[in-house]
Amino acid sequence: MGPAAALLLPGVLLGLCSGDSLFPSRPFVLQSGQGGRGLGGWRLPLSLELLGEAEDLSLLASGPLRDLLELEPECRELLAAFADSSVELTGCLVRSARPVRLCQNCFRQFREMNEKLENITKAVGNTSESSKCAKSLLMSDRLQIVVILSKFFNDTWEKANCANCLKNNSEGLSNSTVMFLAKFNASLTCFEHNLKEHEDSILVSNYTQVCKNCSEIYRSLSDTYKKMQESGQKHDAEEQSHLCIDVEDAMNITRRLWSRTFNCSVPCSDTVSVVAVSSFILFLPIIFYLSSFLHSKQKKRILILPKRIRSTTSLVNIQEKCH
Amino acid sequence: MANVATKVSWSGREREVEGQGETTPLLNGTASPSKPRQLTPSSSSTRLGHLSDVYLDEDSELELDAPCSLPHEIPHNEKLLSLKYESLDYDNCENQLFLEEERRNHTAFRTVEIRRWVICALIGIFTGLVACFIDILVECLAGLKYKVVKGNIDRLTEKGSLSFALLLWAALNAGVVMVGSLIVAFIEPVAAGSGIPQIKCYLNGVKVPHVVRLKTLVIKVCGVILSVVGGLAVGKEGPMIHSGAVIAAGISQGRSTSLKRDFKIFEYFRRDTEKRDFVSAGAAAGVSAAFGAPVGGVLFSLEEGASFWNQFLTWRIFFASMISTFTLNSILSIYHGNPWDLSSPGLINFGRFDSEKMGYTIQEIPIFILMGVVGGILGAVFNALNYWLTMFRIRYIHRPCLQVLEAMLVGAVTAAVGFVMIYSSQDCQPLQGNRVTYPLQLFCADGEYNSMATAFFNTPEKSVVSLFHDPPGTYNPMTLGMFTLAYFFLACWTYGLTVSAGVFIPSLLIGAAWGRLFGISLSYTSGWIWADPGKYALMGAAAQLGGIVRMTLSLTVIMMEATGNVTYGFPIMLVLMTAKIVGDYFVEGLYDMHIQLQSVPFLHWEAPVTSHSLTAREVMSTPVTCLRRVEKVGTIVDILSDTSSNHNGFPVVESVPDAKQTLGLRGLILRSQLIVLLKHKVFVERTSLSLVHRRLKLKDFRDAYPRFPPIQSIHVSQDERECMMDLTEFMNPSPYTVPQEASLPRVFKLFRALGLRHLVVVDNQNQVVGLVTRKDLARYRMGKEGLEELSLAQT
Repeated sequence: MGPAAALLLPGVLLGLCSGDSLFPSRPFVLQSGQGGRGLGGWRLPLSLELLGEAEDLSLLASGPLRDLLELEPECRELLAAFADSSVELTGCLVRSARPVRLCQNCFRQFREMNEKLENITKAVGNTSESSKCAKSLLMSDRLQIVVILSKFFNDTWEKANCANCLKNNSEGLSNSTVMFLAKFNASLTCFEHNLKEHEDSILVSNYTQVCKNCSEIYRSLSDTYKKMQESGQKHDAEEQSHLCIDVEDAMNITRRLWSRTFNCSVPCSDTVSVVAVSSFILFLPIIFYLSSFLHSKQKKRILILPKRIRSTTSLVNIQEKCH
Repeated sequence: MANVATKVSWSGREREVEGQGETTPLLNGTASPSKPRQLTPSSSSTRLGHLSDVYLDEDSELELDAPCSLPHEIPHNEKLLSLKYESLDYDNCENQLFLEEERRNHTAFRTVEIRRWVICALIGIFTGLVACFIDILVECLAGLKYKVVKGNIDRLTEKGSLSFALLLWAALNAGVVMVGSLIVAFIEPVAAGSGIPQIKCYLNGVKVPHVVRLKTLVIKVCGVILSVVGGLAVGKEGPMIHSGAVIAAGISQGRSTSLKRDFKIFEYFRRDTEKRDFVSAGAAAGVSAAFGAPVGGVLFSLEEGASFWNQFLTWRIFFASMISTFTLNSILSIYHGNPWDLSSPGLINFGRFDSEKMGYTIQEIPIFILMGVVGGILGAVFNALNYWLTMFRIRYIHRPCLQVLEAMLVGAVTAAVGFVMIYSSQDCQPLQGNRVTYPLQLFCADGEYNSMATAFFNTPEKSVVSLFHDPPGTYNPMTLGMFTLAYFFLACWTYGLTVSAGVFIPSLLIGAAWGRLFGISLSYTSGWIWADPGKYALMGAAAQLGGIVRMTLSLTVIMMEATGNVTYGFPIMLVLMTAKIVGDYFVEGLYDMHIQLQSVPFLHWEAPVTSHSLTAREVMSTPVTCLRRVEKVGTIVDILSDTSSNHNGFPVVESVPDAKQTLGLRGLILRSQLIVLLKHKVFVERTSLSLVHRRLKLKDFRDAYPRFPPIQSIHVSQDERECMMDLTEFMNPSPYTVPQEASLPRVFKLFRALGLRHLVVVDNQNQVVGLVTRKDLARYRMGKEGLEELSLAQT
C-alpha cells in the first residue's frame, strides 16, 4: 500500500498541471504502481512519458493557445524531476518508519529532492524564461502543491533532527553517529547471542547471562550516547537540542530491552542509612527550637507611657464594650 | 505555641487596664510619682529592678503576677508601636528660605521636570541591570550546585551509598545559606525577608531605618542570590522590588552617604517628598523587572503606596517600569546568545499559554471560584502558621548567631525533605529531549527520570514553569500531593528567616502544584478532557498567592502580563477576589501581618470605622514642648538632647518674654532644621556682630539630608548657650492645625491625604493645646472586640 499511495502523488501533480481531473491519469498511475519497485533510473523516462500522455488527453486546443496554456517543456521537466524525487523520498520515509531509520536510509533521497526543488526555485532571479517557470510552478495558484510538499519534507526532516547525525554537507552520517550505530549493532548481536545460548539451556525468563555478558558494551553505548547529547547541548544552548531520531530511537530500544525486558539495572538502595541521616537532620530543628525556647532570654519591650489627656477615657471604654 | 497565644491575649488585657489607670498627663515623658496607677509603689520606683534576668525569665511567674503588678516590660506582641520608626516629612516646608530660592532661580525649575525623567530612566536601567545580575548569577551558581549533586547522586546510586549524596546536598545547602544569612544577620538585618513590607511602610510614610541604603542593596542582592542557590523555598522577585526602591532612592539623591560620594547632581531632590516619589518608581521598576510586568509594577506602586498620586507621576513611573523591562530583556537576550531579541521578559517567565489549547468555558468559572476559596483558606492557614512562627522568632530567636543557625537548619532540612521525597517516589517518566534540566534517574529504568525530582531538584522558578507547561500525565497525583504538602510547610517555615528572600515564587509553586492536582483529579472524576492541568495550575497559583499576600489589582495584572495572556484576566481576577475575601475572613495578609509584628505605625486607607466619637483632644499628645520665636540656644539644646522625649517637630509660638501661659501658634520647626541651625551657629548675636559671613540657604539643609547629625555631636559652648536664635525665617509659617473637637477620622484623612508628620491642635485663641503625630493615629485599630489601642514601646 505504501508505494502505491506514494505514487499517487505524481498523479495529483499531473492532474493539476494539466488542468484536468485525476481520472484520466489514474490508469497510468496504477500501471506505474505495478512496476513501481524499479530503479530510479528507469523511472524518469516513465514520468516524462506520463506527462506527454496526459497532455494528449487533456486539451484539444492546438498551436498558439496550447503553448500559452501549457507549461514550458523545461518546466515540465523540472516538475517531473521533483515529482520523482519526492516519490522516492516518501517511499523511503515510510518504509523506514519503524524501527526508525529515517536519517540513515533517506538522506540521499532528501538531498536529491532538495536539489530538484532548488532547480525550480533558483531559476527565479536568472533568466526571464526560467523565472517564468518558477512563477508558474511555485506561485500561480492557491494550493501551491510543490511548496506544500517541500515544506512537508523539510519539516519532517527538521522534526527528526536528522541534520544532527549527518555531516555538515549532509553527504553521509557523521563519525559519531557511525560509531554509535556500530556499537548499537554490536550490543544487539550480543543480546541475541546470549539469548540464543540461553534458550538452549533454560526456558524460564532469566536474563542474568545477558546482563553479565553485555553490560560492558551496553555501558559503552550509553556513554557514547551521553557524550553525543552533551556535545549537542553545547552547540545550541537555548534550543531544545535533540539528537537525531535514529540515534534516540536506537538508544530507547536498547534501554527498554536492558532495564525493562532483561531487568538488568537493579540499583542497590540503602534505605536504612538514608532514613537514619534524614531523620537526624529532621530532628535538629526540633532540638534547636526547644533549646532556644528554654535557654534563650525572651525579648522584652519597654513600654512608653504616652503623654495624653485622659479626662474622657470613658468614651473609649464605652466603645470598646459596644463591640 | 499555646503558650505564646496566652501571652498575647494576656498582654492585650493588661494594656487596657493600664490605659484606664493612667489619668494624669505626664510631663515631658518623665513618670511623675503622683500618678494614680494600680502599681505598687515599690514596683513603680524600682522600675530598673525589673530588668533583672531572674525575674523576667520566669514566664509562669510573670503571668501569675500580671493582674496585680503591671511591669513596664512586656513580651513582644502585635499590639505595640515601636519608637524607632519615624515619619517622613512629606509636607513641604514653605519657609522664607524656600520662597527666596524659588524667586531667585526660577529658571532652574524648568529643568526639574526633565531631570525627573532622566532619573526615572536611570532607575529603570539600573534596576534592570541588577535583575540581570541576580538572574544570571543564580542560574550559574544553582546550575553548578545541581550539577555537582546530580553527579554525586548518579555515581552513588550505583554504589548504593546514597546517604552520602544526601549529606552532600544538605551540607551544600546549609553552607550557602549560612553565608547568605551571616551577611544579613550581622551586616544589615533590615535586608531580611522580601522587603515588600518595608517598602510598603516607606511608601506609607514611615521612615524605616536603613531601608534605602546602598549597603542594604548590596546585602539584599548577595543575600537573595545565596538563599536561592542555597535551595531554600524562596524566590528572588520580592527582593527585586526592594532593590529597585533602594536604587531609586540612591540615584535620585545623586550621592551615596554610605560611600561618602557626592556627585553634586540632583540636589533639588534631596528631601523626603521627592525621594518618596522616586522610591515608588523604583518599586514599580523592581516589580516590572521581576515579573516582566510594567503595568503590574505601576499598579503595585499605586496599590501599595500611593497615597499621593498624580497623572504625571504615574506616567513617569510607567516610563521607569518600561525601561527596566527593556533593559532586562536586552541584557538577557545578549546573555542567551540572541542579541536584540526583546521577547524574553522578566526574571520569572511563565511561558506562553496557548490560547487554543488552554481556552476556558463558562462551566469552568464556578470551578475557578472554588479554587479561589481553597486558595484563600490555604493562604489563611499559611499566614496563621507563619504568624506564630514569627512571634516565636521575635521573642526567642533574636540573637544573630541563633538566626544564622536557624537558617542553616532550614536549608539542610529543605534538602533532606527533598531527598526523601525523591528517594521514596515511584513516579518515573520517560525522558523526552532536554525538557528536564536536571533529570535524576535514581531508581528509575534507564531512559526515564524521577518525576518528583523535577519539582524538588530545581530552582523554584523553573519548577513553577514546568508545572504550568508540562503536558498532561507528566506528574502523578501522588507526587503532586506529597510535593504540595511538603512545600507548603517548608515555605511557611522559610518566610521570616534572616535571609533575604521573597514569598511570591513559593506561593506560586504551592498553588501550581495543588492546582495541577485539582485539574488532574477533575479530568479523572468527570472525564472532562478539556481540563488541561496547566490551566488549573495557573489558577491554583493565582489563588494561593492571592490567599497569602492579598494583593488584588496589581496581582491580577502581574499574572496576566507574566503569562502574556489577556484572556485569562477574568478568571484570574475572580480567583484573586475570592481568595482575598475568604482569606480576609480569617486573618490578614502576610505583609500586613509582618508590618504589624514589627510594630510599625502604619496608617491604613481609612480610620477605624467606629472612631468618630474620638476627638482630636483625646488623640493628641499633650502638653507640647513649644519653642518661642526667638529662643535661647541653651533651651533648644536642652530640649533636643532630652533623650526621654525624642520629639521631632516643635510648634513655634509668639515670643513674649517672661510670659507664663502658652501663646498663639506662629509656625512649626523640625528637629533637623534646628540641628542645622545649631551647627551653623545662626545666633542673633552673631548676626548682629556680622560674624556670620553668609546667609543660610536651603542648600545647607539639603546637604545634611538624610542623615542629620545627632545633637550630641554638636558642640555648644557655655557662652553660646546664652545667645538667642531667631526661628522666624526657618520655621514653616503655616502648619496645618485642627480644632480640639475634630474627630479622629477627620484628622486621619488630613494625615493620609497630605502626608503630614505633625498636626497641631489649637484652641479658639490659636493657642497650642496638643500635637497629633502618626503614632497617635496608628494606635487605634479595629480588633476583634472593636476598637483597640496599641501601646508604645521601645524596641
